[in-house]
Amino acid sequence: MIEHSVELVVNERPTAVKVRTGDTLLHTLREELGLKSVRGTCGIGICGTCTVLVNGLPVSSCNALTVMHSRTSITTSEGLVHDGELDAVQRAFIEEGAYQCSYCIPAMVLTVRSLLDQQADLGPDSIREQLAGNLCRCGTYPQIMAAVESLIADRDGLGGNSGRRDRADT
Amino acid sequence: MSRLTGTNFPMRDARDRVVGSLPLVLNESVPNMAFAAAVRSPVPHALIRSIDAQPAREMPGVVAVLTGEDLAAHSAINPLYGGQRDDQPIVAIGKVRYAGEIVALVVAESPDIAAEAVAWVDVEYDELPFVVDPVEAMADGAPVIHDEWPDNDSGTWKLRHGDIETGWAMSDRIYEDTYVSPPASHVPMEPHVALATFDEAAGLDVLTASQAPYMVHKALTRIFDLPAEKVRVRTLNLGGAYGSKGGVKLEPLVAYAAWVTRRRVKMTLTRPEVFLTTGKHSAHVTIKTGVTNDGTIVARQVRATFNAGAYAASSPVGAGQAMTRAPGPYRIPHVWVDSTARYTNSVPTGPFRGAMTSQVCWAYESQLDDIAVDLGIDPVKLRAKNLLREGDVFATGEALHDVHFTELLDDVAHAIEWDEEPAPRSGTVVRGKGVALMIKSTLTPSRSEARLRLTTDGRLTLLSSSVEMGQGAASTLMQIAADATGIPTELIDAPFPDTAVTPFDMVTASSRTTFSMGVAVKDAAVNLRAQLDDLLVELLEVDRADLHHEGGAAGIKGTAPMIGYGEVLRRAELAELSGEGTFQSSEGMSTLDRETGQGRASVHWHEGAVGVEVEVDLETGRIDVLRCHGAAFAGSVVNPLRVKQQNEGNMIFGLGPALFEELTYDAGQVVNPNLSDYMIPSILDIPQRLTSSAVESDLEDADVHGVGEMTVPPLAPAIANAVFRATGARIKDLPMTPERVLRALEDTRAEEGTR
Repeated sequence: MIEHSVELVVNERPTAVKVRTGDTLLHTLREELGLKSVRGTCGIGICGTCTVLVNGLPVSSCNALTVMHSRTSITTSEGLVHDGELDAVQRAFIEEGAYQCSYCIPAMVLTVRSLLDQQADLGPDSIREQLAGNLCRCGTYPQIMAAVESLIADRDGLGGNSGRRDRADT
Repeated sequence: MSRLTGTNFPMRDARDRVVGSLPLVLNESVPNMAFAAAVRSPVPHALIRSIDAQPAREMPGVVAVLTGEDLAAHSAINPLYGGQRDDQPIVAIGKVRYAGEIVALVVAESPDIAAEAVAWVDVEYDELPFVVDPVEAMADGAPVIHDEWPDNDSGTWKLRHGDIETGWAMSDRIYEDTYVSPPASHVPMEPHVALATFDEAAGLDVLTASQAPYMVHKALTRIFDLPAEKVRVRTLNLGGAYGSKGGVKLEPLVAYAAWVTRRRVKMTLTRPEVFLTTGKHSAHVTIKTGVTNDGTIVARQVRATFNAGAYAASSPVGAGQAMTRAPGPYRIPHVWVDSTARYTNSVPTGPFRGAMTSQVCWAYESQLDDIAVDLGIDPVKLRAKNLLREGDVFATGEALHDVHFTELLDDVAHAIEWDEEPAPRSGTVVRGKGVALMIKSTLTPSRSEARLRLTTDGRLTLLSSSVEMGQGAASTLMQIAADATGIPTELIDAPFPDTAVTPFDMVTASSRTTFSMGVAVKDAAVNLRAQLDDLLVELLEVDRADLHHEGGAAGIKGTAPMIGYGEVLRRAELAELSGEGTFQSSEGMSTLDRETGQGRASVHWHEGAVGVEVEVDLETGRIDVLRCHGAAFAGSVVNPLRVKQQNEGNMIFGLGPALFEELTYDAGQVVNPNLSDYMIPSILDIPQRLTSSAVESDLEDADVHGVGEMTVPPLAPAIANAVFRATGARIKDLPMTPERVLRALEDTRAEEGTR
């Protein structure tokens, strides 16, 4: 088995890992680095529960190879917490009750974080379009929509927000 | 302290839920752990000619390969288990009964090695004729799945109420139709996962994502012939279940592997394996209804055939539950129901969010709209005329109380503005509205026990085996405990279910927990308070009637000083005080007359309704649900947000089997066991307007009613009725895919053309 040394930036921390060629980001993050918010389930990049942000954009970590992510910046839901303080997206999810069994929720939080950071115009249709890749079997979608809409209402007072660190936005 | 009941008390672990630090069995890792992977049969029905596991056993990192032959050789093990019938082998012994059945279990040092070794187990089969359709499985000469059940009977029930012949004689018009529900899958996002340890001295310890720790405990005790105290079953949070994690699933496998290898063995199913482990009963329901010209339903005969799959699991009683639910929420003097579950060579089935109710509701609520049109009566008015009301006698012969169907119907009709014609659309898009209702028993007889343990630090531990699977049971029970004891939630701890610690609960299913365990918790609180009062009477030298309790402290009425409960225990020199509580219902399926189905089938009945407005594209056949309103009777609401999330989550869940979910078989194999070919609703599928109501009782002492399922069963027929109203086309087979809609439209046009 060929081993590769890969330098990742995980939740803003440079992280060196030894991986096999076939190791997925899901495996590396969850099993090697212990980031348990990253959870696989469909195994084929459909359901979105294993979503992480790669350079700020949502990626299904179950079909992304770690060796191809050298020197990229990877964010998991744990990485949105700074000094014990939750990200605005996480706070909004709690506020709106946007969680049930919550298996899919950390991934949903990341997709919403990216959406807010990357997109200027966000009407309900485009929000839904962007969240269509994250499935929730409990059916928490209405509360998730409410959380996103409250975040947009807050953000629009502040203008653009490209930094994942910027969480003083509410 | 103000009452928490009726407030949106959030889940205590909300932070862990959004961050991702929630304890899940999936995350658990222990030293010296090995990993199991299953070798599964690709054929639906066959004798196992041979298994050559040697190449796999020789692979580096493989700990063991366990086959049915090995299993049968262990005289200390009872290799068969089952919820109601012990018919399922831990690993197939000599014969496979469905494609996907486990024929060998590989245990290895890593999940990768285990998965790789699976391919090196060579199994040869002598194939047998197979059957995957339950109606075909009833026919003479059908393949026999279990020799002990030569007619493939996996549970047969009959209900005889009134006299059906009299009913037909009274009828002005009689309608007969058959409605079909296909196999479907629960798709919890967390797969089934379990981790077992076996130790000669301590016994078996199984950590599992299960809805039913005590059912698992009972099964393992029996399989390994161990005393109850030598089997420990624990659960953590579940990442969704919807019925799929009830009963016994992976636990015998990991326990057997741990027992043989003396390693700690973990098994996590892949997504395709979840599809092959359990699913929804497919069903053929033929319904014959007699009415008088004024729209009074006078007779109903239902013949329902459910697909049990290869193993009985919940089907023997499930078929009976279906029987009680099949007449629908109507006052009908003459009812005849034959309900049966049949073994087939397909994935074993179980309760699917509303167990057995969706399949019969699909039939009776669809047919009722056809009848309404034929009689020229408004479908809402036809329902209102026949709905069960307070004190009415149901088809099981029992009088019903605290009945709210009329309110539910009014509520959904009002919400979708039934009396307003839908806004007209131009061109090839039409709109229609539809409603449907359902009645459902809860799981009874059943028992739930709770223990409230007070310690000298003034903290209360709520011990219960109810499982938190996203529905909020843990927090809802905490609300109830806080109100019942007066102790603030900050001082209450609630550990996870653990059969070595938490008392008995039958199962977290059938929307029974808030009610059953809620009663047990309140009972435990009364018991605890009585013991506290005994101590206080002695300590304070007062009459019991002069005691005053508030916020986890007590004192003498009208005087200022209050003593914290912890202090009460310290003064009494007690380390702890424990209040026990029990809920026990005696009525239920096992008490019904086996010839007539008469008796008391349920401790109380669940009531639900859905109203929808849909748009149908006549060119593509696509149905767009524009608005959707669900209503359920909740008795008295403990947590409004969670009730709303259940009522609306039910409908979002239900949209899948209504519109596109179907587990498809070809040559006896499931051909779409993945989330690409078996799609579940995404945020794009939910109606623009999705709302719900919880109807409460006016009674002071009303039961709390669970609401985990009530708006699933009526959703599909409400949509079909709206499509029918918009287009005149009646769809009788689920799911209502664009192709089915187009075919139904064509059939309708052809019929109209021939008139």
